[in-house]
Amino acid sequence: MSFMENLFMALSSLKAHKMRSILTMLGIIIGVGAVIIVVAIGQGGEAMLKTQITGPGNTIELFYQPSDEEIRANPNIFQQAPFKQEDIRALEQIPEIKSVVASSTKLSAIRFQEETGDVSTTGINQAYLKLNELKVAKGRNFSASDFLGGRRAGLVSNKLQEELFKGKNPVGNVVMVANQPIEIIGVLEKPTGLFAFGSMEVYIPFQTWKTIYGSSDFTQVTLQVASADQLQVAGKKAAKLLNNLHNTEKSYQVINMEEIAQGVGQITKIMTLIIGSIAGISLFVGGIGVMNIMLVSVTERTREIGIRMALGATRGQVLTQFLIESMTLTFIGGILGILLGWGTSTIVSFFAGWPALVSWQVVLGGVLFSMVIGVVFGLLPANKASKLDPIDSLRYE
Amino acid sequence: MIRLESITRSFLLGKESVPVLNGIDLKIHEGEFAAIMGPSGSGKSTLMNIIGCLDKPTEGEYYLGGENVSHYNDKELARVRNQSIGFVFQQFHLLPRLSALKNVELPMIYAGISKKERQARAEEALIKVGLIDRMNHLPNALSGGQKQRVAIARAIVNTPKLILADEPTGALDSKTSKDIMEQFKELNEEGVTIIVVTHESEVAEYANRTIMVRDGRILSPSEGVRGQIE
Ligand SMILES: Nc1ncnc2c1ncn2[C@@H]1O[C@H](COP(=O)(O)OP(=O)(O)O)[C@@H](O)[C@H]1O
Ligand SMILES: [Mg+2]
Repeated sequence: MSFMENLFMALSSLKAHKMRSILTMLGIIIGVGAVIIVVAIGQGGEAMLKTQITGPGNTIELFYQPSDEEIRANPNIFQQAPFKQEDIRALEQIPEIKSVVASSTKLSAIRFQEETGDVSTTGINQAYLKLNELKVAKGRNFSASDFLGGRRAGLVSNKLQEELFKGKNPVGNVVMVANQPIEIIGVLEKPTGLFAFGSMEVYIPFQTWKTIYGSSDFTQVTLQVASADQLQVAGKKAAKLLNNLHNTEKSYQVINMEEIAQGVGQITKIMTLIIGSIAGISLFVGGIGVMNIMLVSVTERTREIGIRMALGATRGQVLTQFLIESMTLTFIGGILGILLGWGTSTIVSFFAGWPALVSWQVVLGGVLFSMVIGVVFGLLPANKASKLDPIDSLRYE
Repeated sequence: MIRLESITRSFLLGKESVPVLNGIDLKIHEGEFAAIMGPSGSGKSTLMNIIGCLDKPTEGEYYLGGENVSHYNDKELARVRNQSIGFVFQQFHLLPRLSALKNVELPMIYAGISKKERQARAEEALIKVGLIDRMNHLPNALSGGQKQRVAIARAIVNTPKLILADEPTGALDSKTSKDIMEQFKELNEEGVTIIVVTHESEVAEYANRTIMVRDGRILSPSEGVRGQIE
């Protein structure tokens, strides 16, 4: 007897007790749905945290962590910008590195007419534009000539527009930064995301920064590589190069993004595991419900089983029939559970601003697992059916 | 075609073993139409179940078509029931959720016959019992006689050599009983061996041989006696 035959038979007997079938499936539907939701939101959260920590994926930040001796030799070391212009040029020679994004930040006083405040002033090199972090909402972005000529032009943060200009469009106005005039050419978009806090900021070309602050050193250097797989190689090469140039052992370092990402992954995995096992328990309970109903069904259909045996059904065929029936029950439950989980996590992610990732692996896993539940919990009832005596079954009222 | 040698069958009631068949010797030849008669509780159904390979004798040997089937395992017995025997029961035993056609298809499903051929052969069998116009009806929508005709169609659809009917007319009125017995007679004339258990002498008259059972024994000599009615 073919599988399709069994399947049609199973579907028709499930259809004969629609309400009961649906109620029995409910345990599986909720169980699978819960698993899908947990995993989808867990994986979505993990992916979001990873991109927030590591950025879009093909940049890596260099940082300077002086050793104890260096700090003893030079107590002011933290006041100094650790990256020289020669460093930048040397880094640009590393083949894996596409561009070296360098900037320097200092806190200064800012004044516009009668309004004053403290502003974080960042001088950026031209490569900084490639990071695409400066999204202009009003006015214009920097052009190449701004960098070459060291124009006294600046982009300001949304927060600065609110505080210093009381929300009025500042583009075209000249503000005094560290008592030097800077013309505002654009306003940046309001920052979004989990770790974004608005503050008063001004971005100016590094050439301009140099004339204002009289320093040509950089406080931050970010390397951009062509592809994400070269990130660690390029980062290690860059750190080694700088340590050689500065005659330090390992003061120049890169953040090991892989480790961080793994750490985050670990946390979300543990969370997923905990909530997932709760969902697993509900699936188990659902499975027991299936077993219970299948046992009832076998008893109710004793006569049917006797008739089938009289007509030539072997014990194996009766076993298969009931196994496929319970598997069909849990399979349909699993599919409905996936739809429920998918729908719910999409709605949740829509309102929570938290991405939900329903991966095909999870869907496949959900389907297979619900079928396994059907087999495992269907085994006892199916076995009971196949062990029935044909004569007793035919006489059963 | 059928040879029973010293068949006994006892059932366990609590700790006690109650004998129901006490040494049955019986031969039925191919093409015979035999009626089994006897009082209620004499063991007729038990005997039929053993002949039909639904049950195994406690002791004794059973040869069906030359094969000793008394030591067959469950799977082999299922195959014999499927291929060589057609059953007709007093309570019809149709599956209530399947149409007449689907009910007739059942034995062929277990014979592994393709859907197309099943349908064709089931229709053929329903034509033979004169119920083709009811093929899509559920058993509940059929009269008793019609149900039994569907059951007969189901019994013949795998073209078995032997048909066993345990009180096939027990639930039918006398007019319908006649129709059903005519159907069996027709099948017997085509060469099918038929054994019918009955209480009614009118039914037994269709047979060309009557076997009397009492207290788990066969009364008449195992072969040759005809028309002996209680
Ligand atoms: N499975 C069984 N367990 C115990 N006793 C049984 C069983 N089947 C039949 N019997 C007993 O065997 C006797 C004969 O039954 P049966 O063959 O059905 O008689 P008949 O068909 O001639 O009326 C009855 O007394 C019945 O109670
Ligand atoms: Mg009986």
